[in-house]
Formats: sequence, structure tokens, C-alpha cells
Amino acid sequence: MTLRLSDLIDDRPTDGAFRVNRAIFTDPGVFDAEIRRLFEGGWVFLGIESQAAGPHDFFTTFAGRVPVLVQRDGEGTLRAFVNTCPHKGARLAQVRQGNARLHVCPYHSWTFDSAGRNKAIKWQKAGCYAEAFDRDDHGLKPLPQFANYRGFLFGSVAGEVTPLGEYLGEATKLLDLVADQSEDGLELVPGQVTFTYEANWKLQLENCSDAYHFTSAHPSYIRVLERRQKEMSGDVVASVWENSDYWKEEAEGVGGGSYSFANGHVLNWGVFGITPAIPLYERAGELAERHGEGKRDWMFNMRNVTIFPNLQIAENASSQLRVIRPIAPGLTEMRTWCIAPKGESAGARRQRIRQYEDFFNPTGMATPDDTVSYENCQIGFAGTVEPWLQGYARGMTASVAGGNRFSDRIDLQPERSVLADSQLCDETLYHAYYRAWAARMAGEFEA
Amino acid sequence: MELTQSQAEQLLYREALLIDTGRFADWLELFTPDVEFWMPAWRDETTTTQDPDRELSLIYYKGRRNLEDRVMRLTSGLSTASTPLPRAVHQVTNVMVTAQDGEGADVSAAFTCHRFDVRMNRADCFFGRYEYRLVRAGQDWKIARKKIILLNDTIPTVVDINAI
Ligand code: FES
Ligand SMILES: [Fe+2]
Repeated sequence: MTLRLSDLIDDRPTDGAFRVNRAIFTDPGVFDAEIRRLFEGGWVFLGIESQAAGPHDFFTTFAGRVPVLVQRDGEGTLRAFVNTCPHKGARLAQVRQGNARLHVCPYHSWTFDSAGRNKAIKWQKAGCYAEAFDRDDHGLKPLPQFANYRGFLFGSVAGEVTPLGEYLGEATKLLDLVADQSEDGLELVPGQVTFTYEANWKLQLENCSDAYHFTSAHPSYIRVLERRQKEMSGDVVASVWENSDYWKEEAEGVGGGSYSFANGHVLNWGVFGITPAIPLYERAGELAERHGEGKRDWMFNMRNVTIFPNLQIAENASSQLRVIRPIAPGLTEMRTWCIAPKGESAGARRQRIRQYEDFFNPTGMATPDDTVSYENCQIGFAGTVEPWLQGYARGMTASVAGGNRFSDRIDLQPERSVLADSQLCDETLYHAYYRAWAARMAGEFEA
Repeated sequence: MELTQSQAEQLLYREALLIDTGRFADWLELFTPDVEFWMPAWRDETTTTQDPDRELSLIYYKGRRNLEDRVMRLTSGLSTASTPLPRAVHQVTNVMVTAQDGEGADVSAAFTCHRFDVRMNRADCFFGRYEYRLVRAGQDWKIARKKIILLNDTIPTVVDINAI
């Protein structure tokens, strides 16, 4: 690639300038490098522990292009393997989740136990194998790195990576806000929803952190909320936004803001009160007792977390866990779940699910207006007459080093922060994405 | 009076025609006020979710009022994803009355819906099965329950109520 990094990311803090070149969303060479350096060159999110809760449970996913099998053995140890047979490479586990003491490869019946050991090579004695074959390990190849942070499972195709805890850094506290909502941990509500959109994966990365689009892209959803608010009938789906001013243009004062962290992790957030519209309400007292009011209040705040590059947890209209899977420069697959604290009451769970479907599903009333906008961007990115985009400039004079009085409440120490009213809509939090991106991609470019 | 095969077919065909021709107000009239409108998600490769209160659905509403919201959004001009509306045509086949009782009847059917997204110049096809509960309302039959089992559930960007 003959491009220079500065041709793609124009980052000049002293000039108050930050611009991104459209090419990073469309260029096949950039995409290929992203897969190698970001998705196969470091930690990516694989799944949550409850997806393989019992002995011999497993689930499958991808780390970049690499098919991955996360498998629990009979003793309870969880491991991640490359989901491919050492014989001739066939994908071993075919389904997204299941339970298997043994995986028998459907092609020539090589067999592996739930710890990844080869248990049988069909007709081995009669196979006239040479010693060279016997010297090979015929078991499943472990994913070079695999680690568990409080039930969030990460893996890396590259072996040489910083330990997971270091990679996540202060962002672990954002995962704690999810994990600590129940003493029993979290679970994915049964029913997975997968969708694709014809645009670059980074549009999803950014949109999760984009407070600016809400009233522009979702006026139809807002109108539905207003209709429901007037009615307050038991027939309609209750919404958490009903009790919040966060999305209203005329709201005044600090409504939220953004935090950015090392390695490209970010949070944008808004103040939500402790209201019955939030399914967690039934535990408000108990959570304050156990974790203190500061942390409890943060659990109730609207929070959109990105763990770079592929995990997002959005707790706003409901609670969503999303995994971003880039397929091509202009094609992305999203695997999404409703994530919930274990053991919540039947009523709270129902409310969470109803709120989720309405807002988050690609068959709902909000997400399609996002993803269609991504597709409009992808088409517009071909307009390279002016390659530089101007969408990284809001908040430039509001961004400060370190945290603020809100992050102090949970001893959260971001690299940078912005305190915002409803109209500021910080865009500097994207800088964290692209600085991490630039640091990891630097080797691809000419100096 | 029992639901005849022809009445079942006519109702389902009319429903499809009303959606395909954008007559959403008339479409809403086909439902009872307390209708259950349900498109389950898939739990795994072989089973859909079964309990909408404990498992996720692609769409779940109890009450026509919620469908009115969906129609409002779809036709409001305020939703990028719905403006312009994609063109769609449903084929409803394999209509069978599977049960009858004093109040109504159960009907099952198969569907394909071809959708052309004019915005992206892209055609998609969605297919699956319908399970209806129909109840008598005077001379007419109304839909008290509609379950849509969408078989190809990797959603290409968006699927709204007009394409299922
Ligand atoms: S590819 Fe698996 S046994 Fe041959
Ligand atoms: Fe959005």
C-alpha cells in the first residue's frame, strides 16, 4: 500500500483539527489490513460465558475470518479452539451453540473430545501412516489467546498480545457496571438476531457513540414515544425514554457526555433517573446497598460502551449486546442479543424484552433508520472530490484530559472526557477509535 | 357458522393485497383490538423462541394499538428506512383450516414476500409460514392472532411489517 497514515487520519490536536478520509471505509487494502491487524492481530470479543454454561456446552463464532469454537469440557474448563479439523480443514462444529462430549468431523470421522484432544482417527492402524504423521499433534488447535473477564470472553489469533486486563484497562469498570447488576452474573435472553448492512463496519462502531443523530434519524420513533406518553395505556409498550429528557432538544444542563479510554474503548452516556421504566428498578435499593449509590446510579444511566474493535453494549432503550463482524469493506454482519442480569423478576424480564424488540431489532422501529443511514454513507463515501469528512469536530473545545465529577463517583479514570448538554453531542470520542486504529495499522503504511 | 376454506383464503389474500397496495388503515381493520401479532426469533438452528415473555421475538405486540404505531412510523415520512417505501408483493399459499371451535378457527398458510428496495436497487425475498387465529365479528372474520415464522432470519438491513 502506498498510502501514508496521515493521508487517512488527519490528527492535529494543536490545530484543533481531526479529520478522517472516506477511503478508510471503502478501500479494499485498508479493509484487508484491518482484518489482519485489528480482528486477527489482537483481542476480540468472542461471547459470554453463559453461552456455554454447562459441561460440554459450546458455541461458535469468528475472530476476523478465523472460525472459533468455544467449548467447555467435562471438568468445567472453558477453552477456545480454531473451529477446523486438522485432517483436511473441514469446519468441525456446524451450529452456533450446542452440547457435545465429542465432536465427530462429518467429513472423515476424526473425533475430538470437549477438551480438544483427538480421540479417534478412523482406521488409523490400517492407514499405513509414516512416523512423521505420528509426530504431529492431531488435536484441535487452541486459539493462541483466550481470556475471561467476568464472563466476557475474549480471544486473539495473534499470540503476542498484552494481557486482556491491560488491554481493557479502565474499560473493565464499564463491563463491571453490566456484570454487577446481578450477583449471579448475566445471561443472553434466548433468541439471537442477526442482520447485515451494506456498509463498512466502522459505521456501526461510530453510530453507537453518536448522540448527534438521535433526533434526526429517529423522529418517527420519537413520535411513537410521544403518542404513547400521552396515552399511558397498558396496551402499549412502555419506554424508558418516557421518563427521561435526554433525547429532548430543549433539555438544559449537563445531560451526559463521553469518556474515552486507551486502546480505542469509549463510552457515551446520559443521565437516566432511577425510574420504574427501567427493568433494573426492582433492584435499585439492593444494588445501592451492595455497590454504593454512585455505582448504582451509573447502572441506571444510559450507557453505550464500545470495547474496540467488535463489542458494543448499549443500555438505553433496553440492553443490547452486539458483535460486529466485518465481511467486506461494504458489508457487515451484526450478531445481537438482549443481555440481562440473571434472576430478574418475570415482569422485569418481559418489560426488558418488549423495549428491546421495539428499539433494537432490525424488525423494530429504530435500528433500521441507523443501518439505512450507514448505507447512505457508504454510497456517499464514493464522493471523493473532497476526501476528508467533517464529522469528528463537535466537542473539540469541550474535551479535557482525565475524568470529571461523574466518573469520580465510580473511580473511573478515562483518558479524556466531555460533559455535555443535550445539544453538544460530542464527536471527539471517535478520536479514541481512530487513534487506536492508527497505532495498530501504522505498520501497513509508509512513514 | 364455520369458517369455509374459501373464506379463509379470501381473508388472507385480502390482507396481502392491502399491505402490498399500501392500504394500511384498511389492513389494521382486519385485526381485533386485542390482537396478538408475533414473529418469534430463532433460538437455534431448528427451533424458534416459544415464550415471548421470557425469550426474544423479532416482533411481538399485544394490541392493535401497537400496529397502529408501526403503520404511523412506516407512512410518516419521518423514517429514512421507510422512505420511499419499498415495493412488495406477497404470495400466500397452502391455506388450511386446521381447527374450528365455537368462537373461531385456526388457519395455517405459507408465504413468500418479494421486496424491492428502490433506495438500494436491491431485491430480497422473505419466506415462512403463518398461523392465524380468526374469530367471528358479525358477518366478517377478524384476525385475533397472527404468528409469522420467518425462515430466513438473517435480516438484510431491515424487515418491516410490510415485508412479512
Ligand atoms: S476433514 Fe475432518 S476428518 Fe477429514
Ligand atoms: Fe440510532
